[in-house]
Amino acid sequence: MLRVVAVEFKRSLLMLRRYPMEMVGQLIVITLIFYGLFLGARYIAGPAAQFGERLDALVVGYVLWTLALFAIGDLSWGLMNEAREGTLEQVFLSPFGPARVYMARNVAGLLLMLGLNLSILGLIMLLTGVRLDFSWAALAPLATVLLGAYGLGFLLGALALYFKRIQAFLNLFQFVLMFLIMTPFEQLHGPVRTAGFLLPMTPGAGQLRALLARGEAFDPDLFALALVSGIVYLAIGLWVFGRAVRIVKQRGLIGGY
Amino acid sequence: MAVLVADNLHKTFRAQGKTVRAVEGVSLRVERGEVLAFLGPNGAGKTTTIKMVAGLIHPDRGRVQVAGRDPHRDPWALRQLGAVLEGNRNVYWRLTPLENLEYFGVLKGLAAAEARRRGERLLERFDLSGKRSALTQQLSRGMQQKLAIAVSLIHEPALLLLDEPTLGLDVEAAETVKALIRELAAEGQAIVLTTHHLEVAQQLSHRVAIIREGRIVAEDLTDRLLARFSGDQYEIEVAGELDVARRTRLAALGAEALDGRIVFVGDAEGLWHVLEALKPLPILRVEKDRADLTKVFLKLIREDVRA
Repeated sequence: MLRVVAVEFKRSLLMLRRYPMEMVGQLIVITLIFYGLFLGARYIAGPAAQFGERLDALVVGYVLWTLALFAIGDLSWGLMNEAREGTLEQVFLSPFGPARVYMARNVAGLLLMLGLNLSILGLIMLLTGVRLDFSWAALAPLATVLLGAYGLGFLLGALALYFKRIQAFLNLFQFVLMFLIMTPFEQLHGPVRTAGFLLPMTPGAGQLRALLARGEAFDPDLFALALVSGIVYLAIGLWVFGRAVRIVKQRGLIGGY
Repeated sequence: MAVLVADNLHKTFRAQGKTVRAVEGVSLRVERGEVLAFLGPNGAGKTTTIKMVAGLIHPDRGRVQVAGRDPHRDPWALRQLGAVLEGNRNVYWRLTPLENLEYFGVLKGLAAAEARRRGERLLERFDLSGKRSALTQQLSRGMQQKLAIAVSLIHEPALLLLDEPTLGLDVEAAETVKALIRELAAEGQAIVLTTHHLEVAQQLSHRVAIIREGRIVAEDLTDRLLARFSGDQYEIEVAGELDVARRTRLAALGAEALDGRIVFVGDAEGLWHVLEALKPLPILRVEKDRADLTKVFLKLIREDVRA
């Protein structure tokens, strides 16, 4: 399976290289945003500003927002493109099966995005001489948020596989993501808090806020909840995607666009 | 053991209140080194059958075995199957031929280094080495099709499904692809070929199966099928004029003189009587009518429609 991740990483990298303008544009945007953050342009981080005023919180928040958006949308965009271009069925002919191939593709894409962001961040830190005081503890809830985001990514991927055209729905989903990441359910009480934490990504986002914005100590219980939430949503996403694969095979809809 | 056994496949699609019986009781068998031409008009159920064989569409009933394994239950059965599907690019246009071969090789279960090694060999064999680093989108249609076939062979599958492999190719590219198919079959590759180019099917196939409205209406060895549909009609060409007496005699034997040709419908013994009647005129040509696949196909499809 590692072979598939490696070859997907290579494919993603090659594809990125083959769209030079898109890559240059992406690099410029990431550089400008990080540079803006370093210069104190708080608003530039968008919804990530919710994670606090400090620069490290803004950076973590921005990286999370970018990766979560990518995690949720990349699979669906990929499936729609492949159905249109006529390579989807060849991917389905892999003995690894579509769920594992797309999981590998997700991991490869995440590594690529993370690598791109961290390289630029490192470069700017080097150029500006500014050092960030990262709270490494923040990486744990960040990972749980991404697990949940990939769960949602597979759910949307299931829709893309069946309906083939869900562009408008994907654009709308940005607002859902904003609601899930920005609403401070951890500061609410009673059934609203419980219901809020049942939603995808909310416990992890809450813990990030507690750590970065409010400077609270790492809460292992909240982390356990965030981890369970991430794993459960990923499992639900994979299960629904698997069902969608069975349904499109039943109805002969894999290649159609 | 047959490389492909498809047994009694059924598939019905339901959409917007309509029910379409796409495939009804189709069975296919392909042995090692055999090319099966799977023919039918548009909408007859060819692609649905091919996709059921490839595990891309679940049959409602029936079973598929590729090299003894069912692709609908055992995903590793796909290791024994390569496919070039019609209407698809099949490969990534923004990757080079070698990158495509490596990528799909790994997706079929090979190690990257092994996929690259086999990829290099296939590029050499398919005369694409010169284009190994060019983007696939920059290749000619014929080269793209050769690459798609090379990619489908990267994992050395037992069964190759080729859906319209010569569609949209110019004469030269089509000839190259045909030569490749012949070579592959000679090396023992089992191939299922669907095509609307019936002369291609006739040239390449060992056996033919014709599907109409979801059912197989004929399946036989290509030569046997052609012989079956070839009439008992002989055409004889002679030098010189036929006089009235000879014409009368020929007519009595059931032969007819038309524009310098004599057409006789009957058995071999009758033919000898006709030749006797023509004696001593020099005979330039005696030819038995032989059906081609187009004729057989149209006859079967039309007969079925009338039935």
